[in-house]
Amino acid sequence: MGFMMTLSTILATLASPIAALAQSEPVHAAPQEAGHAAEQVAHAAAHVASKIEAIAAPGVGPLWLLLIPVLPLVGFVLSALCAAFRVKSKLPAWLTVLCLGASFAVTLAMYLQLSSGQIANPSVATGFEWIKVSWGLGDAHSMVANFGLYIDSLTCLWMLFVTGLATLIGLYASEYMAGDVGAGYCRFFAAFNLFVFSMSCLVMGDNLLLLYLGWEGVGLCSYLLIGYFYKKPSAVEAGKKAFIVNRIGDLGLALGLMLTAVHFDSIEYSVIFAKAQPYLTALSEGRLGDIPAVVQLIPVLLMIGAFGKSAQLPLYVWLPDAMEGPTPVSALIHAATMVTAGVYLIARTYPLFLLSETALPIVAWTGALTALLAATIGMAQFDIKRIMAYSTVSQLGYMFAGLGVLTSGGAAFHVFTHAFFKAMLFLSCGAVMHGFAGQLDLRKLSGVGSMPGWRVVGIAMLVGCLNLAGFPVITSGYWSKDMILGEAFANPHMVAIGWILLLTAGLTAYYTFRVYFRVFVGPKYFEPGDEVHGHGGDDHGSHGADAHGHGSHGTDAHGHKAHEEHGHAGHGHDAHAHFHPHAPGWAINTVLAILAIAAFAVIGLRFVGGHEGWVSGLIEHSSANYAGHAMYAAAASHGGEHAHATFFGYDAHTAMMYVSGVVGIVGILTAFVLHYVGRTTAAKSKADALLPLVGPLAKWAQGKWYVDELYNAIIRVPLLVLAHLFHLIDKAIVDGIVDLFGWVPKFTGSSLRPSQSGALHGYALSMAGGLAVLVLIVVMVMK
Amino acid sequence: MMLAVLILIPLAAAVMVAVAPASRARSIAMVGMLGVAAMTGYLLFSFDWEHTAAQQFALDEESSRLIGPLGVSVSMSVDSISMMLVALTALLGPICVAASKTAITERVKTYYAWMLVLQSAMLGVFCARDMIFFYTCFEFTLIPMYIMISLWGSTNRKKAAAKFFLYTFTGSVIALAGIVYVAWSYADRHGTWTFDADTLMRWSRSLPAATQGWVLGALLLGFAVKVPLFPFHTWLPLAHTEAPTAGSVILAGVLLKLGTYGLVRFAMPFAPAAFVTYSPAIAAVCVVGILYGGLICWVQTDVKKLVAYSSVAHLGFCVLGLASYNVMGVTGSILYMINHGLSTGALFLLIGMVYERYHTRSMKELGGLASKMPVWSTFMVFFAMASVGLPGLNGFVSEFMCLFGAFQASDQWGAGLWGTAAGQTPGATPGHLGAWVAAIAGTGMVVAAMYLLYMVGKVVWGPLVEPAGHSSHGADTHGHGSHGQGSHGHDTHEHGGLPRDLTGREIGVLVPLAALCIFLGVYPSPVIKALKDPVALTTDEVVNFGKARTAMPLVPPANVAPAGHQDNAGHASDAGQNDVSQHKETAR
Repeated sequence: MGFMMTLSTILATLASPIAALAQSEPVHAAPQEAGHAAEQVAHAAAHVASKIEAIAAPGVGPLWLLLIPVLPLVGFVLSALCAAFRVKSKLPAWLTVLCLGASFAVTLAMYLQLSSGQIANPSVATGFEWIKVSWGLGDAHSMVANFGLYIDSLTCLWMLFVTGLATLIGLYASEYMAGDVGAGYCRFFAAFNLFVFSMSCLVMGDNLLLLYLGWEGVGLCSYLLIGYFYKKPSAVEAGKKAFIVNRIGDLGLALGLMLTAVHFDSIEYSVIFAKAQPYLTALSEGRLGDIPAVVQLIPVLLMIGAFGKSAQLPLYVWLPDAMEGPTPVSALIHAATMVTAGVYLIARTYPLFLLSETALPIVAWTGALTALLAATIGMAQFDIKRIMAYSTVSQLGYMFAGLGVLTSGGAAFHVFTHAFFKAMLFLSCGAVMHGFAGQLDLRKLSGVGSMPGWRVVGIAMLVGCLNLAGFPVITSGYWSKDMILGEAFANPHMVAIGWILLLTAGLTAYYTFRVYFRVFVGPKYFEPGDEVHGHGGDDHGSHGADAHGHGSHGTDAHGHKAHEEHGHAGHGHDAHAHFHPHAPGWAINTVLAILAIAAFAVIGLRFVGGHEGWVSGLIEHSSANYAGHAMYAAAASHGGEHAHATFFGYDAHTAMMYVSGVVGIVGILTAFVLHYVGRTTAAKSKADALLPLVGPLAKWAQGKWYVDELYNAIIRVPLLVLAHLFHLIDKAIVDGIVDLFGWVPKFTGSSLRPSQSGALHGYALSMAGGLAVLVLIVVMVMK
Repeated sequence: MMLAVLILIPLAAAVMVAVAPASRARSIAMVGMLGVAAMTGYLLFSFDWEHTAAQQFALDEESSRLIGPLGVSVSMSVDSISMMLVALTALLGPICVAASKTAITERVKTYYAWMLVLQSAMLGVFCARDMIFFYTCFEFTLIPMYIMISLWGSTNRKKAAAKFFLYTFTGSVIALAGIVYVAWSYADRHGTWTFDADTLMRWSRSLPAATQGWVLGALLLGFAVKVPLFPFHTWLPLAHTEAPTAGSVILAGVLLKLGTYGLVRFAMPFAPAAFVTYSPAIAAVCVVGILYGGLICWVQTDVKKLVAYSSVAHLGFCVLGLASYNVMGVTGSILYMINHGLSTGALFLLIGMVYERYHTRSMKELGGLASKMPVWSTFMVFFAMASVGLPGLNGFVSEFMCLFGAFQASDQWGAGLWGTAAGQTPGATPGHLGAWVAAIAGTGMVVAAMYLLYMVGKVVWGPLVEPAGHSSHGADTHGHGSHGQGSHGHDTHEHGGLPRDLTGREIGVLVPLAALCIFLGVYPSPVIKALKDPVALTTDEVVNFGKARTAMPLVPPANVAPAGHQDNAGHASDAGQNDVSQHKETAR
């Protein structure tokens, strides 16, 4: 019975809004259970132990699972071969879609077998021995990093959307990148495949070092793809910035890995989790003092890596700049998958994070503050792709906050829903960019959704925006965000974070629909961008919108008409007078349609497969949650403090369902009033009139709070000065002293000049002579 | 005998080059280098990989004795550490010959003859088991390199060659003094002279700690100049910048490794007590070198100088691994020697290829070559990533192991550091470095990304920049770059007979290096396994003798009574003879 009671406590703690609605559980029930605290602790500990046993003794996974990373690698090799053989067709794209699709199919098979129990959860499938170093008496200690896969439901969740979205976005890119068919096309798809391979290693690796391989591998692909248009200095700079900022995070991850290896004597998850068992037991029994500081330091180091990869404070600055890359890259790497690697890392090592008193609160606060900061910047930008980038940073902040407030299920669900709707948003923006010759300024585009041929894009954008804004009930983004908000308000220590996130939710709804109301509805108007920015990549002889040879030709006339109807004289774009925006073709429209449907379909996952939905169900059966029970038990042992905090007397989860929905709608309405009602031009809206009210804040937000400038001033410039100083010191002092010594032989050596100038071999002779002298000395000493 | 054959092949080839007509010089050199490579392949094949710590292919004593009364011999043998470096040397030989085809057109005979002699000397260093033979080979490498720089170098070649020669020569004379001192004190004690490495090693580590300090200081000075460690590195950028491409490749690929090899093979076992004592100082020098060298790279405008300075930073990691004197660090360090040879060697080759086309190395005059030389650019990005330490490529494995070695190596683990009690850090090893050293050195990873991506960003990416006289091709307006060299035959006169992008020969030079970079990044396991036993032997010696000796009072050797000395020595050499079995048991 006690076990059941524990379960019910956990259920109540994790109660979904729906469950709460159904039974409207009284909040004051919790203290009554406090009397059973001790009993609960014991059972929680037993529960944890049984969970750990399963995790510490993983099953043996079948080797065909290795196909999941290997197929993208095959795609990479094939694309590279296409480049080597100078293929000038869309072949690399089709090969990519084929390989990634196959990888997705294998992932699906893995998921089905795992959920049916044919593959144990967790399992390890070992490919080959990558690095193994052993030392000590009888090789008692070793660091083993196999190329092995750790398969549990968390892995499945991530791989499903990584390979699935990669396939779809590969298809989209086949059309999007069509202007670069040739060397650039091959290069793009090679890096694209390599990315999926690296991401698979990151997610599926059975040890921290393989994760690190994937971690830096995705960083490389990100670098290569951000800098895809390599003739553009800003793209090159952005790629470099992304790599270097990520490396700072990687250093934290590497040190965390080393500390793990030194303390746990292993970097394999199964061993680490097994060895963490005593600490988890101590935690569940409330003996926090038994957990040494060294263990508590590990998550703090690991999270630095997570902050870098997932663009959190203070390392978020690379992600907005990463938008220099082609849009499919922004959608896949910089929105849906790679940037969630930090969330994955924390979810994967969640037991270690729970062992630290400070780690998860730091994660929660970092996430919340990042969410707010990025949202404020997003409100003031004009480049729609940048706005989406800041919204990504902001939403990643939600995910981190979710992890921090102990709803790893909510965080993962948000990762999952966000992957779909954010990819869709980016791909919609990309379609606009593609069609309007690189135009992204929301002041120069209007009414795009009602232009002929742009219907699918307009609808996809609306669906994406509704999701991002968290429009109540009918959007998946609402449900996932709600889980995080509810949990934040339910946790008495995290209420402040809840308020920050709630405020951010309102801002998010506003800036999202600012884009929608400005660009996709309202009067029809456009100014084409500078095409070169869109396709400046490779040396293909002729490029430009007209050369793309796809898109529906019927549209051109209409687009042109729209241009003439609303084209304002005096814009000085006569050069573009014959510009025809070309509406997206079948590949882009198909992908957008699939994603739009998926974004809705994901809502269903909230209500199947587990009390908090399918995603939470998967998380619960992985390392990301089992230790959560221990944490709750620990809270229980402190006299029933695990009781919900309330939101003005109402159950936090229930209240949030209404409150967050209302906040979202308020944000959307604000945008509607300010950016749609009565707007007659693309360039101006009512919001402009309000700007003076906030004083310099708007300008500062538009300047991204000058964080880049700050970093430049306090880090980059001093380092540059130091580097120049070192260079001077090296030449003047370090080498100067050497030259000073050199001066003496030079002075005395003037008598030897003949032998030097006469034959260069003189040195050989003098050296032989020197050796002879030395031997002589030795002989004399001996005598 | 096999090792003698190995060393004599290039010497014989050198003689043939000198005798044969100049037009044949390159082919003969190639045959000689390939002969070395084949011989090395045979050695790798017949090496007993079960007993990697054992000295194999030893010359028998009779035939190796050179100067009887002095105990100088040409004794040679290899264990797996030496074998790996012999393999690296043998691999780079043919590559350097191939890479010199178009770059060296004057005094061809002299060039190839000296290159072969250099090959011989370098192989000698890695095979030598006699200190004088070792030293002779070690020093003899200077002459061919001096000649290569001063005859085929760039504008400032005389100064660079002279500095290279005098600086490293001075350093190694001091190292010789250390060796001779150990031999003298042995002869003083035993009445017979010997320069046998093992005998002197056993003797040397029985010396008092203070004496060992002097021995270590002498050896370290000689080897540190060669490595080069900060602040003895200033000859390197100059020599690298001025040297012909093949010279730079050999310099970075093998010659620098003579220093690190000397450290791990002789400095550590000769003076374990001093090494333990001074390991924090060595580590500090390494860390300074990593950051100082790295930051200097970041402000270079000469791309070759940048890569040269990067060697200072890279070898800082390498020696840091040694300073941690545990299996992780020392194995990583030896891997680092090989990996640095591959990736930095390749970077020098790539820079040489551009230099042959544009006759400049300035990043102000070169930029955005990706649009003109896509194949070259692909290799450039690849090897820059290998150098940056991207996991999956070779550099990462060794860099990580060196850093992790330093991270582990602290007596403070389990003794209060961050709340660790005894037994709470089973992964730790004895040492004086620890997490902070690794963390500070680790920032070198960030700096490496900064300077290498700065280089790649300038030279490979960005808008096309070419030196005056190269920028206006008729072909430019027609879409090129991806069309290959075939359609651009008419350009060849501008590039000294070379097409715009790489030739088949040049690709052929780079591909084996790239393949090895991938292999050692993806599957370093067999190499790590092969290095394990000799590395464990070295580290056990350092730990055990280091512990035993530092406990002894610091007595200058002059004051040691002969009798006491004798006992001491006898004891130590007994211990030495049993090292394999005994030390393993006493190791933690």
